[in-house]
Amino acid sequence: MRHEIPLIWHPVPQDATADSQAVSDAQTAYDSVWADTSMPVQQSTGLEAQLLKEDKLYAVLAVVLIIWLGIVFFLLRTDRRIDRLERRVDTQNSDS
Amino acid sequence: MKNRYPIIRTLIILWMSVVIVGAFLMDIPRMSILEHTARNLYFHVPMWFTMMAGMTVSVVYAVRNLLQPNLDFDGRSAAAARVAMLFGLLGLITGIIWAKVTWYQGTNVWWNFDPRQTFAAVCLLIYGAYFMLRRQLEDPEQRGRISAVYNVFAFTTMPFLLYVLPRQVQSLHPGADGNPAFSDITDPRMRLIFYPAVIGFIAIFWLLYNQRVRLQRVGRRVGQDR
Repeated sequence: MRHEIPLIWHPVPQDATADSQAVSDAQTAYDSVWADTSMPVQQSTGLEAQLLKEDKLYAVLAVVLIIWLGIVFFLLRTDRRIDRLERRVDTQNSDS
Repeated sequence: MKNRYPIIRTLIILWMSVVIVGAFLMDIPRMSILEHTARNLYFHVPMWFTMMAGMTVSVVYAVRNLLQPNLDFDGRSAAAARVAMLFGLLGLITGIIWAKVTWYQGTNVWWNFDPRQTFAAVCLLIYGAYFMLRRQLEDPEQRGRISAVYNVFAFTTMPFLLYVLPRQVQSLHPGADGNPAFSDITDPRMRLIFYPAVIGFIAIFWLLYNQRVRLQRVGRRVGQDR
């Protein structure tokens, strides 16, 4: 059976009901809005299931790897630019 | 030398990628309070090692510049200090975040003037003045000599601020009295990633330092003196 996900399945903050304010102090105000929300119950599969393992640690790994690849991309691009500059200065100096 | 550079660069990038993956995937002992944040050891601590290595490169070229004035030595000294400063700032910021979720968990405290953190911040401020000083001096040769002298001063304060003084006082940071830092009680599995991470970050320092040195050289050849 396919789980029906409504367009907005979480209560928007203004709709937070009075009983959500009675939630224990251990939960933050943010939690009180979201605590009684029902999550889609379908089993995570594939990539999502992998990312959720180990307290969602692998999701952090994915984020860090993407940041790292971005930095590497910049590093290589800067190197290429310096290469080009060096070549241009070389040819200019040999011309004059 | 020049054609070997892309190979070295590729090796460093691969090395660091393996370190990052290992830092997340390797099993570590779960300790209360620390939990998974113990993995910060692989990232936060190498920042300071890298800063110290970078400042060492900087002071070596500062001294060489004093012994035998040379704009290239001065440029290398400044470039190394710049990149080392970046790692120092990253070390301070990552330390603040780590402290927030461990030492100061459950409080709204981000910064409580822990001696170790305070001394580290003072060290960064001392080096901050180095860059201020450089900006004020117009003549490249004078700039090189005066900032080299200041560099030697700043470098001599670093071991005291980062190593000696924090161990003389009580601090929440490992490495204080009765609270060993990285030592024989550290799980051997963590060394497997920690040491390669230190090497990897120092290698990244070298890549960034190298770029700045090359840019300066090109700049000097087209008549730009800073």
